[in-house]
Amino acid sequence: MSQQRYSQQNPNSMPNRDQPKAPEQIEYICGDCGAKTALKANEAIRCKECGHRVLYKPRTHRIVRIYPLEN
Amino acid sequence: MSSGPPPAKPVPPPKPVRKVPTDAGGATASRVARPPQRPGAIPSRPPQPSASSSKASSSKAPQKPTKPPIRPVVSSRPKASGSLATRRFPEDTKPEVNAGEEEWAALMKSAYGPMSGEDYAKAAKTVQDKWELLPAFLKVKGLVKQHLDSYNYFVQVDIKHILHANALIQSENPNHWIRYLDIRVGFPQRPGLDYNQQITPLTPMTCRLTDSTYSAPIMVDIEYTVEQNIKRARNVVIGYLPVMLRSDLCWLKNKSEADLAVMGECPMDPGGYFVVKGTEKVILVQEQLSKNRIIVMADQKKDEVTAEVTSSTHDRVVKTYVMTKARRLYLRHNSFKEPIPIVIALKAMGLTSDKEIIQLICGFDEQYQEAFGPSLEEAASKNAFTQKQCLEYVGVRVSPGQERDDSGMRLSVDQIAMQSLAAMVLAHVKVRNLNFRPKCIYLATMARRVLAAMLDVSMVDDRDYVGNKRLELAGQLLSLLFEDTFKTYNSTIKRQMDMMLNRRSRATPFDSRSLLEQHMGIVTTAFVRSISTGNWSLKRFHVERAGVTHVLSRLSFIAALGMMTRISSQFEKTRKVSGPRALQPSQWGMLCPSDTPEGEACGLVKNLALMTHITTDVPEDPLIRIAFMLGVQDVSLMTGNELYRPGVHLVQVNGFIIGVTAKAKSFVRTFRKLRRAGRTSEFVSIYINHHHRVIYIASDGGRICRPMIIVENGQSRVTSEHMRLLKQGKVSFDHFLRSGLVEYLDVNEENDSLIACYEHEITPDTTHLEIEPFTILGAVAGLIPYPHHNQSPRNTYQCAMGKQAIGAIAYNQLNRIDTLLYLMTYPQQPMVKTKTIELVGYDKLPAGQNATVAVMSFSGYDIEDALILNRASVDRGFGRCHVLKKTTMVLKSNNTGATDRLAFPSTGDTDNRYMFVDKDGLVAPGAIVRPSDVMIHRESAISSPAGGEPEWKPTPVSNKLPEPVQIDKVMVSETDEGQLIKVLTRQTRRPELGDKFSSRHGQKGVCGLIVPQEDMPFNDEGIVPDIIMNPHGFPSRMTVGKMIELLAGKAGVVSGALQYGTAFGGSKVVDMSQILIDHGFSYGGKDMLTSGVTGQSLECYVYFGPIYYQKLKHMVMDKMHARPTGPRANLTRQPTEGRSKDGGLRLGEMERDCLIGYGATQLLLERLMISSDAFDTQVCETCGMLGYAGWCPKCKSGKGIVSLTIPYAAKLLIQELMGMNIMPKLCLEDTV
Repeated sequence: MSQQRYSQQNPNSMPNRDQPKAPEQIEYICGDCGAKTALKANEAIRCKECGHRVLYKPRTHRIVRIYPLEN
Repeated sequence: MSSGPPPAKPVPPPKPVRKVPTDAGGATASRVARPPQRPGAIPSRPPQPSASSSKASSSKAPQKPTKPPIRPVVSSRPKASGSLATRRFPEDTKPEVNAGEEEWAALMKSAYGPMSGEDYAKAAKTVQDKWELLPAFLKVKGLVKQHLDSYNYFVQVDIKHILHANALIQSENPNHWIRYLDIRVGFPQRPGLDYNQQITPLTPMTCRLTDSTYSAPIMVDIEYTVEQNIKRARNVVIGYLPVMLRSDLCWLKNKSEADLAVMGECPMDPGGYFVVKGTEKVILVQEQLSKNRIIVMADQKKDEVTAEVTSSTHDRVVKTYVMTKARRLYLRHNSFKEPIPIVIALKAMGLTSDKEIIQLICGFDEQYQEAFGPSLEEAASKNAFTQKQCLEYVGVRVSPGQERDDSGMRLSVDQIAMQSLAAMVLAHVKVRNLNFRPKCIYLATMARRVLAAMLDVSMVDDRDYVGNKRLELAGQLLSLLFEDTFKTYNSTIKRQMDMMLNRRSRATPFDSRSLLEQHMGIVTTAFVRSISTGNWSLKRFHVERAGVTHVLSRLSFIAALGMMTRISSQFEKTRKVSGPRALQPSQWGMLCPSDTPEGEACGLVKNLALMTHITTDVPEDPLIRIAFMLGVQDVSLMTGNELYRPGVHLVQVNGFIIGVTAKAKSFVRTFRKLRRAGRTSEFVSIYINHHHRVIYIASDGGRICRPMIIVENGQSRVTSEHMRLLKQGKVSFDHFLRSGLVEYLDVNEENDSLIACYEHEITPDTTHLEIEPFTILGAVAGLIPYPHHNQSPRNTYQCAMGKQAIGAIAYNQLNRIDTLLYLMTYPQQPMVKTKTIELVGYDKLPAGQNATVAVMSFSGYDIEDALILNRASVDRGFGRCHVLKKTTMVLKSNNTGATDRLAFPSTGDTDNRYMFVDKDGLVAPGAIVRPSDVMIHRESAISSPAGGEPEWKPTPVSNKLPEPVQIDKVMVSETDEGQLIKVLTRQTRRPELGDKFSSRHGQKGVCGLIVPQEDMPFNDEGIVPDIIMNPHGFPSRMTVGKMIELLAGKAGVVSGALQYGTAFGGSKVVDMSQILIDHGFSYGGKDMLTSGVTGQSLECYVYFGPIYYQKLKHMVMDKMHARPTGPRANLTRQPTEGRSKDGGLRLGEMERDCLIGYGATQLLLERLMISSDAFDTQVCETCGMLGYAGWCPKCKSGKGIVSLTIPYAAKLLIQELMGMNIMPKLCLEDTV
């Protein structure tokens, strides 16, 4: 993969505020190169770019209410 | 005297402080340790090792761990003639001729200009900073290096020997065979080929994440037959060997910090463990009595003396005894039905003359001759005079099963005797061409040792003496395992070959090579199974051991490190003998005196000290040659007459007598000189045992040794000049070793030396100088500041607690997905450090925080070691930690039977529990999941009609914890079994009432109260303590080290420097007081405080300053439990047990006894039956049996039926008794 594409893929990018719904197709993030891969059922779990076998799910799109800690 | 005599080496108790070079100064590191990577803010960061650095450095794509450079594999081929006797040992390589002194002189000249080469040694009188040798040593040896060395030795040397010993697979058809030519282990890779037919290299981190095994292919070169031709093949894979991390095979070996980061690895990680099926496994060091050595024991009560030898060869492990019975000597062995009189045994081996026997055993000594008399007479009384008579005597007493030789020929009686004497008795002393002479001499030596112990009780050996022990490491255990499975593998292949060749018609020419690859599963699974279960069960070698491997504890960095230095002993824990548990004087410097668990395993589980190294095998043949060259006379040319003359010393190499010398001292001296010159391996030890009058030369593996500075003519060979060069990085530890400035001593040789602890203690007789006294402690005990001021059990307690402290675990801690991981949010390095802390890297991965402590009483909530915490400190992050837990799920996807899938719940199923589940059936990171919320929506196929769509049943995985958790990571990958999903959940916890804390001095306590800052006392600078500790903790515990830590810490804080509390040294109290005075504080460390509650000054001064506090893993949140009513166990209908099952609180036997004693019957009834397992049933008064529905099945009537309530357990008991044909009857009486 090229340097340029790599820098664009920030795995922690926050979703836009005006995009509350989860997408139908979830793109997983490669644990090695950071590229995004959409997985289909019954498909081998591999990064499309580098063939790495460990993928991570991106951060949730929903609004999370944080409960304050007590004591 | 024993072979573990009172130390001839008078190592004086360490005299602390005075003369040690202070290790203060040079400490400029910042107070707060950089938290390696702060967990928190953005929880869902997938591992992106050092993306920025590689990006910045070059324009090419970031280096991936998947394509490391291919290292050349080891391929030096051992000589084909590697005979059986010597094949344990690596080949003899020509020793490097070192320049020694000249090398140094040249370096000195280049460093200091044209100063004469000889002058430098005399330049300085004392050695400054000789402790700098320690970090230099740790670079090349120490801590986990013994694991690595042992593994490397196995992979490079031993595995080849095993192959050559089992090199030929010969089928029954003489034209078909496979011959192994060479063996090597490749680099770690995924078994099999990739989807695009490529080899995928494996990194340890991928293995941890994907639950796979970090293993490398074992490749062989073979020569084999195909029909009439002989073919050769290279690099045939016969199995996969788990790779020890950071060994020579591992990708991580010698990698820079940046490279490690790319691979997702922590540079501080010690390595030395395996990753098997995703779990990190350690093969602990095993302690054993040395093999092939004579150990003499005595039983005072029975008046018996026994000499025991465990002979360990490649074929078998057998024990041979020479014992006394009624003051006569006998040979005892498993292959004889009864003890054989020693004289008969010797005569059977061809030593027929009584005089010769007497000479070999007793020499000139009349005492010995007298004591041996009865044994001689016994042989005569048994009418055994000639060798033939004796062989017959022995032959009829050989236990059954040895009547045939290897080819199956039936043997005569004297042949049977001959065979078992040659092969079984003292199996390690080989008999070649029926030459029994060496074995006779060995047996005679054993007999002599027994006689000596009979005459003088102090000649008995000490089994607990560390010099009589050997440590078995991963390499040895793996080599045993490999030898065993390799034999199984070969015999399986032979069987397969025979089967294929016996077939009438074969379609294709028979290619035996394919068999090798077909059966590689045998080797692979044997390794994986043994390491992951820890069961070493090798029938061939009579090895049956469980619990050899342990899961590497990742509770804290120190816990993992401590695990690598742990030694477990083979003694049973139940035996009530104190010997093996006691602290041995010979442990000095080798094993840590403080680090041992309390309770059951106390003293049996030990830890290595900082500077120890464990040897691996060194070939003995060159040593024997050197010995002969130095004037040793060959033992086979001697009669007994010459062996035991006064002034003559026997020479033994690895327990085997090779000859005698008359000039013992000069022989030993010369031998040592050769070793210091690098002509033998530095790990060969030689020493004189004056009691045995034997010179022992040892080169076997498993001896514990440590380096020491050589002293000659009352002068340390290492000088300040040497140290200066070392500090400049111009030389390494090996330079010191090669030029004879420093050498390794094992425990036995230590006993033959006079070692000075400090330089001023050197006398003309001194032979060695300690490198640094604090190295007698291990890595874990080395964390304690000022341990020499503490009562010793407190240091032991801290060693146990340091492993439970929450802190930073590794630089890659946030990329790890472990079952349970505790992390501290804001760890700090301690204000009072030790040298050890810096050496092991605890300052980079600390587990604790510097709390400002006021030693005073406050409220009543601080009794019994409870601590008072400052609420504002807690708010600011004191003691805050993360708890990360993992939920794993494998989607089974086999074509037949059950198949799982992930899915978004079909309509109607979704409720609140599915709030964060996405379309792919998984929660996403960042979500907050409440108890019993669904994290993974899995569906399993229940029935699949032929060809049709199966029916799906939801089997979701939900959050089982009683508290809400945040999702930290969701990982998907795949294994051989199917898709693998790991969900990492996270909780952030702040300290609460009941959480456990401890200082570094074995002083633990729970949080008793959290007080608002405004109510806390404060000093005149407005400083408020983080912790208030009750002073009652001090008098009985006598942890003076803690007080000094506070003082040194306070001095450090006011002066802005870190202080040292290194054992037997460290910052001095006087200096600390002076610093305090200079900064306007009281020299004693006390401050005047003002009460936050009343605003008045406290009436006394309060000891006030920073102490390093650890938060321990025991937290109230994990333990708090109560239940009004809840689930019941199925069988007994009583409430379940344990918090995890929402169990009840047990009213146990002792509580029950109290209630009985008090007479509270109704309470008893209520607790034990009504609230537990009350059961309404019916009993027939007439027959006393249980009935039902108003009917007694035995009486066939309902007349005597009475209903009553009994515990369900009682009903169950009655029925179970009936089930085993016992009829219990219930006899009823009217209650009053």
